[in-house]
Amino acid sequence: MDGLLELWTYLSDVTHWSGPSGIPTRTIQHVWMTTLALGTGVVVAVPLGMWIGHRRRGSLLAVNIVNIGRAIPAFGILALVFIATERIGFLPSYITLVILSLVPLFVNTVTGIEEVDPDVVDAARGMGLSERQVLWRVELPLGMPLILTGFRLAFVDVVATATLAALVAWGGLGRFIIDGFAQLDQGQMLTGALFVALVAVVGDRLVLWAEAAASTGPRGN
Amino acid sequence: MIVLEEVTKEFPGAERPAVGGLSMEIPTGEIVMLVGPSGCGKTTTLRMINRLTEPTSGAILLDGVDVTKQDPVEVRRGIGYVIQRVGLFPHRTIAQNIATVPDLLGWDDSKVTDRVQELTGLVELDPEMLDRYPHELSGGQRQRVGVARALAADPPVLLMDEPFGAVDPIVRGRLQDELRALQERLHKTIVFVTHDIDEAIRLGDRVAVLNVGGVLEQYCPPEELLAAPANAFVEDFLGGERGLKRLSLRTVGELELETVTTAQVGSSGAAAKERMRAQGLDWITVVDDDRLVGWLEAGDIGDRVPDEARRFAAHTTVDTSLRQALDSVISSRTGVAVVVDGEERLVGMIAADQLAEQLTR
Amino acid sequence: MRTRVFAAPDDLVNWEWVGRNLDTIAERTWQHVYLTVIAVAVGFVVAFALSLWILSNPRVGKPVTQLSAIAYTIPSLAIFALLVPVTGLSTLTAEIGLVMYTLLVLVRNTVAGLEGVPDEVLDAGAGMGYEDRRLLWRVRLPLAMPVIIAGIRIATVSTVGLVTITAVIGQGGLGWFILRGLNTVANRSTFVLVGVVLSVLLAVVFDLGIQRFGRYFTPWARKVA
Ligand SMILES: Nc1ncnc2c1ncn2[C@@H]1O[C@H](COP(=O)(O)OP(=O)(O)O)[C@@H](O)[C@H]1O
Ligand SMILES: [Mg+2]
Repeated sequence: MDGLLELWTYLSDVTHWSGPSGIPTRTIQHVWMTTLALGTGVVVAVPLGMWIGHRRRGSLLAVNIVNIGRAIPAFGILALVFIATERIGFLPSYITLVILSLVPLFVNTVTGIEEVDPDVVDAARGMGLSERQVLWRVELPLGMPLILTGFRLAFVDVVATATLAALVAWGGLGRFIIDGFAQLDQGQMLTGALFVALVAVVGDRLVLWAEAAASTGPRGN
Repeated sequence: MIVLEEVTKEFPGAERPAVGGLSMEIPTGEIVMLVGPSGCGKTTTLRMINRLTEPTSGAILLDGVDVTKQDPVEVRRGIGYVIQRVGLFPHRTIAQNIATVPDLLGWDDSKVTDRVQELTGLVELDPEMLDRYPHELSGGQRQRVGVARALAADPPVLLMDEPFGAVDPIVRGRLQDELRALQERLHKTIVFVTHDIDEAIRLGDRVAVLNVGGVLEQYCPPEELLAAPANAFVEDFLGGERGLKRLSLRTVGELELETVTTAQVGSSGAAAKERMRAQGLDWITVVDDDRLVGWLEAGDIGDRVPDEARRFAAHTTVDTSLRQALDSVISSRTGVAVVVDGEERLVGMIAADQLAEQLTR
Repeated sequence: MRTRVFAAPDDLVNWEWVGRNLDTIAERTWQHVYLTVIAVAVGFVVAFALSLWILSNPRVGKPVTQLSAIAYTIPSLAIFALLVPVTGLSTLTAEIGLVMYTLLVLVRNTVAGLEGVPDEVLDAGAGMGYEDRRLLWRVRLPLAMPVIIAGIRIATVSTVGLVTITAVIGQGGLGWFILRGLNTVANRSTFVLVGVVLSVLLAVVFDLGIQRFGRYFTPWARKVA
C-alpha cells in the first residue's frame, strides 16, 4: 500500500508532467523509438523475407534464426551493441531494437509466404501471372496474417527492450524504473512500470486490431 | 442377442431426433449390417449399444440385461469396438495396442502375450509388426490390428463402424473375405455399420436399411432384401443390377448341375468324335479319370484323345458365386461354365439359361 | 571520426580476470540455473493445472489465455518494478515475474497438446472401456508430450534470457556480469561477454537437454509417418 501512496504522490506532482524528463515527453520518446525501430525492421526484414520465402528455400534458415535469436537475451544484445558501438544513448538503443525486431519479422515473413498453399501458387502461375505478380498478388496477401503476427511479436519485444535502454543512458519510460531503483524512489519506479505497461498493452491491442481488420479484408471477398 | 426397444436419441439443439424410436433384434452369432445414407443415424445407433452415446429414451438389452442401467465402462470392456479411422494408440506398439483390453481386465502377462500371438495369426498380421508403432503400418495392416484389438478379450459382441471405409477397394475386399472367414470360426454377434450396400449384402446375415432419423425401412436377410425391397426408398438404395447382386449371394454348388459329355485321355478318338456328332457338339471336355484336363475340337483329336487340351478360360468351382459363373458363361467360347470341386474333379456344368432361371424363381 | 574511448579489440576479454574470478562465474551460473529451473518448474505446474481446468471447462480457455497473453505483453522490467513494493528486491520477485512469462507458452502448448489428440483415438479408448481419468493420463498426456516438451523448451530458453534482466533487481545470475559491464569502465567487454556467452550456452544446453529428455520418453514420435 505504501507503493500506491508513493505512486500517487509522484503522479500528482505537476513538475513530473512537463519538461524533458516529464511523463509525456518520455512516453512520446518511448513510442517514437518503438515505432522507428519497428519501421526500420519492417523495411529491412519484410522484403528480404518475401524474396527468400518466394524462392522457398528459407524454412531451415528461419528455424535456425528463431533458435539462435531466442537463445541470445535482449539484454545481452543491448550490451553487445553497446561495447561494439562504444556509444551510449540513442544509437546503441536503436540498433538493438532494430536487431530484435528483425528476427520475428523476417522469420514470419518467410514462413508466411512459404506456407501459402503450393496449389494456389501453381494455379496463379498457370494463369500466367509473372513471378512478381505471384509474389505481390497471391503470396503476400495470403501470407499477411502470419507476417502481422510477426509484427506483433516484434512489437512486444521492442517495447519491452526499449525500457532497458535506460541502462545505456537513453531516455524513454525505462528511465523512471531504473532511476527509481537507483534512488529508492518507489513512486517514480511504479510510474515508469505503469506507463510502460500501458503503452505495451494498448499498442499490442492496436496491432491486434489492425491484424483483425487486415485479415478480414482479403478473406471477405 | 441384442434387443433395441423404442430407442431414441435427440441431440441437444437438433430439429429432429437422430434416431427416433428404433426397435430391432440382433440375433446371437450373426452379422447384422446397418446400412443407409450418410447422417441417417447408423453411428449413433451403434454407439448407443456401448453407451458412448446415451440414448434419450428406450432400452437396449444385451442378453436380457439393460445396458443403460449398467456401468458404461464395464459394458464397453465386454464389447469389441472397431472404427473407420481405427484409433490405434500412436504411443503404444502394435502388441501393446492389441493387449489394451486384456490389460484393463488385469490378465497376467503370459496370458496376454499368448493371446496377442494368437490374434496376430487370426487376423493374418505379420508378427514382425508387433514391436512397431502404428504409424509404421499401412492402412490395411492398421485395420487388422484394430480388429485384433477388438477381439482381444474375446467379447461375444463386436461393434464395427465402417471399419473398411478408409482402405482401397482391393484391400477392402480382402478384409471383407477375412472377416467372413473369421466369423465362420468365432460366431460373434456383430453389428456392422456401412453406407456401402454391396458390403452390406456381401457380409451380412441380415441387413437393416435405415432412413434419415434412424427409421428402419427393412430388416431381413440380403437375399430377401434384393428379391423383395419393401418400398421405393429401399429399392432406390439398392440401386441397379439387383439381379446380379442376388446372383452374387449364391454359389454354383447350390444348383443342380448338368452332366458333361466327356472324352477320357487316351481313349479312342473316333469314339469321341462320334459322341460329339451324336449330340451336335463342336467341342468336347477332356478328363483324365475324373480330373478336368480341358477341351478339344474335333480337329484336335486324332486316333486317340491326347493328354494336352485347351484350357477353360475361367476356373469355376462349386464355391464360385453365381454372378462370377455368369460372367464365365457369357465370356467363354463354349457358352457354358464347366465346374470342378475343391480337388479339381469335374462335377458338371452350367449354362446361361440355368442362371436366368435362378433370377426369376 | 570515431574516438576510441573503450578497450581495444585485442583485449576484448581479459582472461586474467576470468581466471581470477572463476568462482564468481560459477556461483552466478549456478544462480542462473536455479532461477531458471524454479521458474520453469513452477510455471509448468501452474500451467498444467490451468490446462486441465481449461480442458474440463472450455469456457475458461479464452480468458485464461488472454490474461496470460496480456501478462506476456507487459515488459519484464515493468513487472519486476510493480512487484518490488510487495515482495522487495528478492528472489521471490524475480520468480513471480519469470513464472508469469512462462505461462502463456506453457498453457498454450499444453492445451494444444491435450486437445490435439485425434478424436478417433479417444473414441477407441472410451469404446474399449477407458475411464476419463485413465484416458487423460494414459492416452492424452503421453500423446501431448511432444507439444508440451516443445513448449517447455521455448519457455526455458526465454527464461534463461529473462533471468539476465533480474540483475536490475539484484538477482540476475549471469545478467549480473552484463549489468556490471554497462556500469563500469574497467574490463567492460569482459563482463559483457562472460555474461552473454555463458547465458547463450546455458540456453543451448537446456534446449538440447530437454529435447533429448523428450525424445527418450516419446520413442513412438521419433519417426512421423
Ligand atoms: N455428437 C453429436 N451432436 C449433435 N448431433 C450429432 C452428433 N452426432 C451425430 N449427430 C447428428 O445425428 C445425425 C446422425 O448422425 P450419425 O449417427 O453419425 O449418422 P451416420 O453414421 O448414419 O452417418 C446426423 O444428423 C448428425 O448430424
Ligand atoms: Mg457414421
